[in-house]
Amino acid sequence: MGLVFTKLFSSIFGNKEARILVLGLDNAGKTTILYRLQMGEVVSTIPTIGFNVETVQYNNIKFQVWDLGGQTSIRPYWRCYFPNTQAIIYVVDSSDVDRLVIAKEEFHAILEEEELKGAVVLLFANKQDLPGALDDAAVTEALELHKIKNRQWAIFKTSAIKGEGLFEGLDWLSNTLKSGGG
Amino acid sequence: MFSLFYGLWKYLFSKMELHVLILGIDKAGKTTLLEKMKSVYSNIEGIPPDRIIPTVGLNIGRIEVTNSKLVFWDLGGQPGLRSIWEKYYEEAHAVIFVIDAASPSRFEDAKSALEKVLRHEDLQGAPLLILANKQDLPEAVSAEELARYLDLKKLDERVYMFEAVSAYDGIGIRESAEWLVEVMERSKRTEMLRARAGAMGPGP
Repeated sequence: MGLVFTKLFSSIFGNKEARILVLGLDNAGKTTILYRLQMGEVVSTIPTIGFNVETVQYNNIKFQVWDLGGQTSIRPYWRCYFPNTQAIIYVVDSSDVDRLVIAKEEFHAILEEEELKGAVVLLFANKQDLPGALDDAAVTEALELHKIKNRQWAIFKTSAIKGEGLFEGLDWLSNTLKSGGG
Repeated sequence: MFSLFYGLWKYLFSKMELHVLILGIDKAGKTTLLEKMKSVYSNIEGIPPDRIIPTVGLNIGRIEVTNSKLVFWDLGGQPGLRSIWEKYYEEAHAVIFVIDAASPSRFEDAKSALEKVLRHEDLQGAPLLILANKQDLPEAVSAEELARYLDLKKLDERVYMFEAVSAYDGIGIRESAEWLVEVMERSKRTEMLRARAGAMGPGP
């Protein structure tokens, strides 16, 4: 996987600083995905303002992860992480049907952010290994993805635990970014 | 005086983005078409056909054809994903329906998907371009043959055209885009969507 990743993402951004945000509710599987990609050491930092951001630096691309939802007081500080974001990877626990509404609201709220308007969106309908997990079409419906009309998006069924579907999604992402998507 | 108004209309028209939906069943070549449009009309190099993977979401292409700004919405065509199509109908100025002309075994599926599109009231009056795609393959049927096979009813009041294309090597791509722009400029639906956009103020 690490090698594949090198091949996919080495040439996209040239020397430009780029950022890919990996977002979702807590327990969606975001960190597991980062580890699966084996791009480098995951560094966890808790800024003084009190939310936990994990960062993987891969050449000039920064992957940054934090949980959406919860405390509203810290949200303005998220914006420090928005500039130069080329893509958002939104991870959903497809088996957590009860919290899909919150996942939807958080998702659309983050897309409203001015500095993220140009970012393409890759969705991982994660935890497909769990019984009762909704498939990609059902997650598409639950998250009301059709409301996105000004940027490219794609959804993939994944199991981060088993490493399934991640590569397909990243392949789409690298293709889309290469062709100047968004 | 007329020419003044006409000029103004042309000016307004050129400022407005025209939304074109690219529909069709899976493996018809919708994304390949989109990428070809992009490489023909803009200096962005499209994704090469062999790198294109099945769409599970929305691809967007923005191009300019004879001073009109087109925005293509390319949606996935796998059966489970088709339910999302209609969410885009209301804002679409025109529809391209892509058919793999070299796969007769799938014509029936394409026909019923297309008929469903045509029945939807949110697409009333939207010009329709039906593409007999994959003309680069020897077994591809012509646009006329495809039209005969589809034998579409309820097309009478709609502006439509069948066109033989190859999204792979570019046959018929310019003709298709230019036809679309021409019919959209004159279409009642464009007028209606423009009035609605004007009434609601500048969109998001």
